[in-house]
Amino acid sequence: MKRRTKKLLLNWRIILLTVFLIGSVVTLAVRPLTFGIDISGGVALVAQTEHPVDADTMQLVVDSLQKRLNTLGLRDITVEAQGDQIVLVKVANVTTAEEADAIKNVIESQGVFYMEFDGVIFGTGQDVEYVGIYQIKPDNTWSVPFRISKSAAEKFAELAKGKTGWPVDMFLDPPVNSLLVVPDSVYNLMNSSEFNAQVPEAPTLLQRITKAFNITVVAYANQTADELADMAEGREKIVLVDLNQGLQSELENMNVTVRLVQRGPGESDHALIIRTLGLYGPYSVGEGLATGQPQQDVQITGTASDRLTAEQEARQIYTVLKSGSLPVKLNVVGMEFISPRLGENFKYQALLAGIGALIAVFAIVYFHYRNWKIAIPVASTSFFEAIIILGFAALIQWNLDLPSIAGIIAAIGTGVDQQIVITDELLGGTKETRITRRSNVLKRMGRAFFVIFASAATTIVAMSFLLIYFVGTLKGFAFTTILGVVIGILVTRPAYAEIAKYLLGED
Amino acid sequence: MSKPKTKGEPDAWEAVRMKKQKKLSVLARMDYKKMITYPLAVFIVALILLAVHFPHLGIDLQGGVVITAYGVDTNPDELAKYISDQIGVDVRVESFSGVDTKGVRVYAPTGTDPLEIINVMKTKYPDAEYTHSEVQPTFGEISQQQGIRALILAFIGMAVVVFLFFRNLVPSLTIMFSALSDMVIAVAIMGIFGIQLTTATIAALLMLIGYTVDSNILLTTRLLKRKEDTIEDAYLSAVSTGFTMSTTTLGALFVLWLISTSQTIDNIAVVLIFGLLADFMNTWLLNAGVLKWYLARGSTRGGKA
Repeated sequence: MKRRTKKLLLNWRIILLTVFLIGSVVTLAVRPLTFGIDISGGVALVAQTEHPVDADTMQLVVDSLQKRLNTLGLRDITVEAQGDQIVLVKVANVTTAEEADAIKNVIESQGVFYMEFDGVIFGTGQDVEYVGIYQIKPDNTWSVPFRISKSAAEKFAELAKGKTGWPVDMFLDPPVNSLLVVPDSVYNLMNSSEFNAQVPEAPTLLQRITKAFNITVVAYANQTADELADMAEGREKIVLVDLNQGLQSELENMNVTVRLVQRGPGESDHALIIRTLGLYGPYSVGEGLATGQPQQDVQITGTASDRLTAEQEARQIYTVLKSGSLPVKLNVVGMEFISPRLGENFKYQALLAGIGALIAVFAIVYFHYRNWKIAIPVASTSFFEAIIILGFAALIQWNLDLPSIAGIIAAIGTGVDQQIVITDELLGGTKETRITRRSNVLKRMGRAFFVIFASAATTIVAMSFLLIYFVGTLKGFAFTTILGVVIGILVTRPAYAEIAKYLLGED
Repeated sequence: MSKPKTKGEPDAWEAVRMKKQKKLSVLARMDYKKMITYPLAVFIVALILLAVHFPHLGIDLQGGVVITAYGVDTNPDELAKYISDQIGVDVRVESFSGVDTKGVRVYAPTGTDPLEIINVMKTKYPDAEYTHSEVQPTFGEISQQQGIRALILAFIGMAVVVFLFFRNLVPSLTIMFSALSDMVIAVAIMGIFGIQLTTATIAALLMLIGYTVDSNILLTTRLLKRKEDTIEDAYLSAVSTGFTMSTTTLGALFVLWLISTSQTIDNIAVVLIFGLLADFMNTWLLNAGVLKWYLARGSTRGGKA
């Protein structure tokens, strides 16, 4: 008896299992598990580039997003490119829905920055040399000071010479090279001296943006979608301001890129124009700037309705100026926010569910075989398997999210199935043949492992496609399932087979 | 552990096994034509069900906004009306409950501002815990295409693996059809119970491929390779193993479904449960029937199997 036990303990399969188990426990103790945002709380955003991009551009997008979110003062950020159009951004420790929304805005602003005077662009984001800390005043006006390059400053000095009081505009992501379709009242306001600072005779905003950005503004007078599409020929897109959605879908059906800007509740024409164009200003050229002397230190200012909004606006400008522009515009196409308190709840539930499932397996296996010598090894092998999967996840710092946990449980489910296949092969046949034919055991194990390998191979192949092709959050499910199956066939199943052989006396 | 092997104990499980086999022997004695007909009928009913009532697509596949509030216990219809009145957008509300929490999910069309709905709800339920997610239709479309592609590719991959393992057309095709039928039936039942088709449930359908092939491979191996037993004995031993496998998995999944309040985990668990139930029929009736027929046919022509 004692020799049998010793032989079992020295079996390489058992040793392998022990090594993996100890390794996993040590790993878990040294490097705690990291959890996905759907458990630890936070926001996950799926952003899509305006058009497919090559790998280099994608890398640029990922790098600048990372930089930009870091600038925002956020920690625990992952930015991951998937395919040629999708970027997955996850930010942990986001506690309010408003904060989540601010992150969305930062991702969506491409951050191409222009400084324009008299219809001439004299500087862009490239000319921003230094950005100072933003300030917010008690009346909720904010300002972001920054320094522009010498060449931009010189160009401006030359343009603005003798033009005291003229308007200077700054734009963030204006709709360059587009057809702007606006209601009558908006058209008239843009074409008036409303945006001219103190000099009514300076060109109107409409004239300035047409010259600087090739934006054509038309008043909406029931033009058909066909007519609008004709007018926009050769333009990048049509921007519909405060118009109905029907027109948008009609144009989209004609394969025209359309952006619809809807009027917010109680939003004035003035505010709507500023928002559509991404306009900051206009600022008035002070006397000191009209002398022809270059001036490098400038600032952007704005006013918000409350302090929180002021802070958000200022921070967004600060972030964008500081981190530069994205090579391509991103749209947030999917977003999920989970509060940390809720996540804590999920973590607890997942643990409970895991333990519950284990107990259920134990109880059902016992019910089937009425034998502790089977129920205990089956349940504990499954438990070991879970520990090893978790240990591995901790080792590679895999973010365990809910789908990953579902994957672990799924893998353990197949694990139990396969242990039952092994058990039944060992118990198979009548009692007499089991005792008389010892060589039979090898054959039976071979058959059990044929089934196990075939089903493991199928699961791995099926899940690989999910792992490779899917974007979004389900990669975790595929990953842990595959991991579980691999650990199962390499480590736990062979060990279980040995233990079962020992306990059931088929040795 | 060092206790000598007792003779009494094996008899105990022997008795349990005999009892189980007795119960299952009804299946073993069934005529293979019937074994094939019933599952085929169910498959066709499932197809008709799908044509009439395909499951709704979740917001992650078609776009939209969903707000989940935990700690809210209310009549969904009243809440839907209240929110719709406040923000002027039609919303759909459903309630759910877990072991220790109750809550509601509010579905709103694309373009609705989730913060607006949350603010409206906060006036009524300030202490609830809110989460929200938002998906644009364009991304929903991408996910749909990817889901379909993943399913097709996984299916082809499965077919290739199964064929490589058995090198025999009839059993391989039967396993594939059985897996297909499992998925179709699972999706049809989803439609009946109003479970949405989401990326999570697509993952569950993929997982189903792994689970269902397990038992089919077991059956095929026992019937084709275990030549020392009669077909009936081989079938009986396979079905009793399969029965144990399925009940343990079902038990674990049921516990998972019961405890979790996460929609992702709930949906994965419940779709796997449907699929496993369908698989029980498809493996032990359909697949077994085809194999019995195949083996009988082979032996009359000179034992090709």
